Order: sequence, then C-alpha cells, then structure tokens
Amino acid sequence: MSGQRVDAKVVMLGKEYVGKTSLVERYVHNRFLVGPYQNTIGAAFVAKPIHVGEKIVTLGIWDTAGSERYEAMSRIYYRGAKAAIVCYDLTDSSSFQRAKFWVKELQNCEEHCKIYLCGTKSDLVEDDRSMRKVDFHDVQDYADEIKAQLFETSSKSGHNVDELFQKVAEDYDQLYSFQQMTEEKGVDLCQKKNSTFYACCHH
Amino acid sequence: MAADVHNSKVNWDIQNESLAPIDKLRIERSDSPTPGIVEGTEPGAAQEKAMFVHTQSFEDLTAETRDTVDGDQEVESCDLTKLSNDLSQLSTHLLGQEEEQGEAEEKGEDQKVEMFDESLASVTSQDSSPCGREDICDITSDAWRNQRKHVFVLSEAGKPIYSRYGTEEALSSTMGVMMALVSFVEADKNMIKSIHGDGYKVVFLRKSPLVLVSVARTRQSEQELSRELCYIYYQIVSLLTITQLNQIFERKQNYDLRRLLAGSEHLNDNLLKQLDRDPGFLLSAVTCVPLAVSTRDIITSSLQAAKAKNLVFSILLAGNQLVSLVRKKDQYLHPMDLHLLLNLVGSSSSFREGEGWTPICLPKFNPSGFFHAHISYLDSSSDLCLILISTSREDFFCLSDCKHRFLERLWRRNAFQNLLEALQTPTYPVDLVGIPELRHFVYKSKSSGLYTSPELPPTYLVDEEQERLMGLYQYLHGRIHNSRNPLRYIYHCGQRENLLAWVTSGFEMYLCFSPLGTKVLAMNTVTKLLKWIRKEEDRLFILSPQTY
Repeated sequence: MSGQRVDAKVVMLGKEYVGKTSLVERYVHNRFLVGPYQNTIGAAFVAKPIHVGEKIVTLGIWDTAGSERYEAMSRIYYRGAKAAIVCYDLTDSSSFQRAKFWVKELQNCEEHCKIYLCGTKSDLVEDDRSMRKVDFHDVQDYADEIKAQLFETSSKSGHNVDELFQKVAEDYDQLYSFQQMTEEKGVDLCQKKNSTFYACCHH
Repeated sequence: MAADVHNSKVNWDIQNESLAPIDKLRIERSDSPTPGIVEGTEPGAAQEKAMFVHTQSFEDLTAETRDTVDGDQEVESCDLTKLSNDLSQLSTHLLGQEEEQGEAEEKGEDQKVEMFDESLASVTSQDSSPCGREDICDITSDAWRNQRKHVFVLSEAGKPIYSRYGTEEALSSTMGVMMALVSFVEADKNMIKSIHGDGYKVVFLRKSPLVLVSVARTRQSEQELSRELCYIYYQIVSLLTITQLNQIFERKQNYDLRRLLAGSEHLNDNLLKQLDRDPGFLLSAVTCVPLAVSTRDIITSSLQAAKAKNLVFSILLAGNQLVSLVRKKDQYLHPMDLHLLLNLVGSSSSFREGEGWTPICLPKFNPSGFFHAHISYLDSSSDLCLILISTSREDFFCLSDCKHRFLERLWRRNAFQNLLEALQTPTYPVDLVGIPELRHFVYKSKSSGLYTSPELPPTYLVDEEQERLMGLYQYLHGRIHNSRNPLRYIYHCGQRENLLAWVTSGFEMYLCFSPLGTKVLAMNTVTKLLKWIRKEEDRLFILSPQTY
C-alpha cells in the first residue's frame, strides 16, 4: 500500500507469553521493554526493510496474539505467509507442545510457508541451566524432521535475533529471485487477459 | 448527509427516533441559556444529528429490570424475613464447611453480610499472581479485605472467571458460595439483587451465562454498582461476542472461561479504575480535546475523505479524549461502546508496537458479531490514536492505506502541527469561568452525548481525593437518577465542599464549590456557567458530527 511496499509476509506464532512481541520489538526498534507483561491484542503489523546483499527486502511482520481467544483469526495472518517464526519459551515445555500445534497447522494449510523454530529467553537458561525445560537436541531433531531452521534467541540481550530475521530475508530472497525467472510468463498472460477485457468494455 | 451540513438553517429531519428530537432553528442557539432549557438547544448540543445513540444513564438496567430497581429493598420477595432467614442459614451452612480452613467466625443473623465477607476471607491463598498485585493478592490479608470495591465474575457453574483482587484459584470456593446464594434464591423463582449491611453492599448481576458480583464499601447506590457490573459484562462480551459465550457454555457447562480470556484481566482492572475516576463513564458520555473549530474541521474532513467501503467508524483519540469521530451514514456508536474502545486502547501498550488489527465486538451495536479494528498511533511520541472500524476481517491493508491518506492530508493542511500544539493544553483550569468559589464541574449535553469538565484543582489531585470527589458525584448521580424517586436538583452540603447537581431534559451538571459557597451563589453560578459554556461550546464540543 502507499509508502509501504511489502515483499515477504512473515508471521510470528506461538503460545502466549513466549515473547513474540519482545522479539519483534528487539528486531525492529532494537529495544527491550522491561515492565509488566502486556499481551498483544489481535495482532500487530510492522514493516521492516532489510539488506540482503545489495538488495532491500521489506519484511511485513505479523506479530499475532498468543491467546486462544484469537485462534480463529490466526488463519488470516498466516495465509500467504512466506515465512513463519514459531516461537517457544526455553523455560516452558508446554510452549513447545503449542509450537508443534502451529507447525502442524502450517503444514496442513500453508505448505509453501517456510518454518523457523525459535526458542526464546535464552538468557534465562544461560544464567541458570536448570531453567531449561526444552532440550536443544530434541528440538534440533524435530526441526530436521519438519525441515525447519532452529534458532535460540534472547530478546533481552539481542542474541541471535538479527541473525534469525536476516536468515528469513535471505531465504526469501533466494526463493524470490528464482521465482522471478519462472514467473514472467504468468505476468504476460495476465496482461493479455486484461487488455482484451478492457477492449471489450470499450466497444 | 453531506448536504445536511450546509443546511443548518432548516429544520433537522429525524431519521433515528432514538436521537434527540431536534426541530429547533439554529438561531435559537444564540439565545442566552436558561436552566430548564430544552434538549437539542443546550450548550454543546450538536447542530446536526448526534454521533451517539441517545442514552439514559441507566437505560441498561431500567430496560431489563424495570420492576426491580429498588434502592434499598434487598430481595424481591413477598416474604422477606423468611427469605433472609433462609439466606443466613445457607451462608452459615456454607461457612460451616469452610471453617476447617480458617478463621471465619459465626455471627448473628442480622450481620449476614459480614459473615459473607468473612467467608470470602476464609479461603487460604494458594499462589500469588505474577502480575504485580501481590500485596493485595493474599485473600486472607486485611489489605485484601479492606479494598473498597471487589468485583467477581463467575460462570453459572460457579467457576471463577475474574476477580479484581486476588487470584481466581484462591477464590474458587468463595465463588461457589456466591453461586449458591444466587441459585438458592432462584429456586423459589426469585432473584437476588443485593445484600445490604454494615457499610457493605453486595450487588448481584445475572447475565446468563455469567454472574457478576460486586462487594462495595462505597456510597454508590445499588443501581450504580449494577451498572458498573454491566460494563464488566460488556467488556467480556466485546472480546468474545454473546454468541460465542453462549455456545461455549452450551457445549460445556463447567468450561473454564479464563482460558479464552487469558491476558484480558488488565482490561477489566483498568475499566474498574476508570469507573472510579472518569466522570464520562458515570454520565455515559465522552469528552473532547478543546480545539479550535478550524483545526477540528480539517481533521474531521480528512477523516471523511479517508474512507473505504467497509469502514463504519473512524475515531481519533488523544488519550481519554475524543478529537473527532466520523461514522457511516445511519450508523451510530453507543457511548458505552466507545468507552470500551477507550479502555482497550488505554490499557494496552500493544498498539504502540505497530499497526494493531483486532476483532472487537461492540456489544451495544451488535452483541453477536465482530467488527475489525485497525488501531495505531499517529506518531510515537503523542497520545494520538486512530481507530478505524471495519466490517471485514480482510480489510487491514485497505485501512492502513486510509490511515496514510488521512495523515498525508493532515500534513498537507498543516493541521497536524496545530493539533499537537493544542494537545499541549488538553484541559483548562476552572478559573476561566470566573467564579472563585467554583472548584470543579462536570457538564453533559444530553443530545450530543458529550461532556466537558475542567482539570482537577490542586485540592483533588491526590488519587484518594480524586476518587472521593468522584464518589460524591456518583452519590449525587445515584440520588438524582433514582428510578423510584428521580429529582431535578440536589444541593449537598459537605464538610469539605458543597455540591450542586442539576438535571434538565437538555443537560446534566454537577458543580463542586468551596465549603464557604452558599445555595444562592450556586444557583447563580449555573446561569453564569451555562453562558460560559455556550461561549466556548465550539471549542469544547463537537457541534457538527459528520458522516462519510
């Protein structure tokens, strides 16, 4: 839309309180807000341009609410998404179960959407290993199985956050430049169709 | 509708009967206002059709429980004493079961409310809430018991849904007691309305499939407390719709609704706080940012221009105040719905993150369907928040585009800077009116649904004092609108201030004077104040609400 061209739709999914919003805040505004937890209402949209080589790719990031209340709405957020960042909290094993739910949902409904698994709050498990409730290798195995990438991030320290989104943009760019070569024919067809349509109208 | 705008001199046609009957000529506005002035010509009255559904303060309650709004009658029953005996037996019985857990002591029958309260406190606390309410979370503590107003929401199965203070888990048996009280009375085809005693009021509101209970030590009337519960009910409906709410409980009677409402507790918390402080909630009205007509007109026309097919309402807010509102022709917003929107925006920082997109039900408009709201701040440093409400869930980018077009227009016509400057002084001191004894006032124009009020004088700036003043307004509001015995005006002499409440068919006002003020002075002030508001009305009110 005006002034806001978006190349790739990216959707953040995951249980509430895993820190999807914090992740986006860290990436887009490079800040970490300390304070009482504020749940996202509905979803929030931010567009963020990112350099990939010499090109600029604009990610349209949909930060969805984790609350079950909005589950019925989630379809419109991941429909047509090029990438989904499925978040889980490293200190909460139930959040990983929820992540698996989202992966299934995506596999069923959006097979072209690339999946990125993201374990959040890595600073907490670094400080105290006993806090870790989701094993890295288990998730790695799961990620291989579903052909997903795995990142463990900390929005508090910023660890791995840029890398995650950079990877999302690069993967998109690779796929996109490939598609551009094959798609041209399709665009031509469409134009032709349109011109005949207008011709009809005029006569 | 656009044509009407230029037709201010002709009679205004009435399309919606619920709106103010306004067959007055524009010329009459210039007449000096007199008390008893008719609706539609009072200061602040809209020249065109009002933008809100016209409401009475208590319409919700009077419409649904017309036969039972009695100030101090405890339970609607022909045999009150028998019932009250039964009730206290019941609560004694329930209490007996809980005594193992704690410190509850049995008291006489005439003190059943206290007993009831003891039983509230007899449950031991389990875990403290993560939300920073720890100090008042322990429900065995005095701090918890001494709260001025508790609000509980439970399902008809007696499952806790919301508690203002303390965790719901810890309160599950208490909520069981509440539900037992409700069902016990209902078994006899009666309805429990409230329990009064020893400085407490326990008010019940039955909105199937929910039960809402308020336990208050304030001076508010039962009606007022009931209305507040109604707000909480609508807040919950606005997140789920009544259809969904009914479906859930039809499918599973003992469903734990907290699962679906997770994360929305602060909406209720904030709403209750607003109800204690914001006169708008009391009056079913909203207040506008004082703004030069020319600036407001540019903003309104820019909103009008940034329209889309499915757009129903465009609302620009500055904090809790309205800057402008444009609506689809023939669609009216209810002040209560706008309050819920204000509450949504006011209690979450979520919309500062990016452009928000959320389903929302406006229960007074239609309790069974969702609108979709695009909510975003105009810039990161100000409180200017734009809400665009559409009927389509696919409209996000369309509305995002509307926002950009609106902003572009504002910039092009330099209105954005003017607006930001005006926001530097979002209130005005009461001194402007020129009556030294007048400390504060709230004036509502009934036909426009808008109110104006100066900033609080230093005496009332502390939280407790602010709530005390609001408490007085609430008290007068409750008295003057008592459905059994409605009054036109009340002059109230207190120790620390004197108050005058005055209601006509056109306006409603509450004035607060220094304790040295006299009744004569108060009466004279009314005329002077009305004249002043008339003079300032185009800055303080939105006189010509617009449609797309």
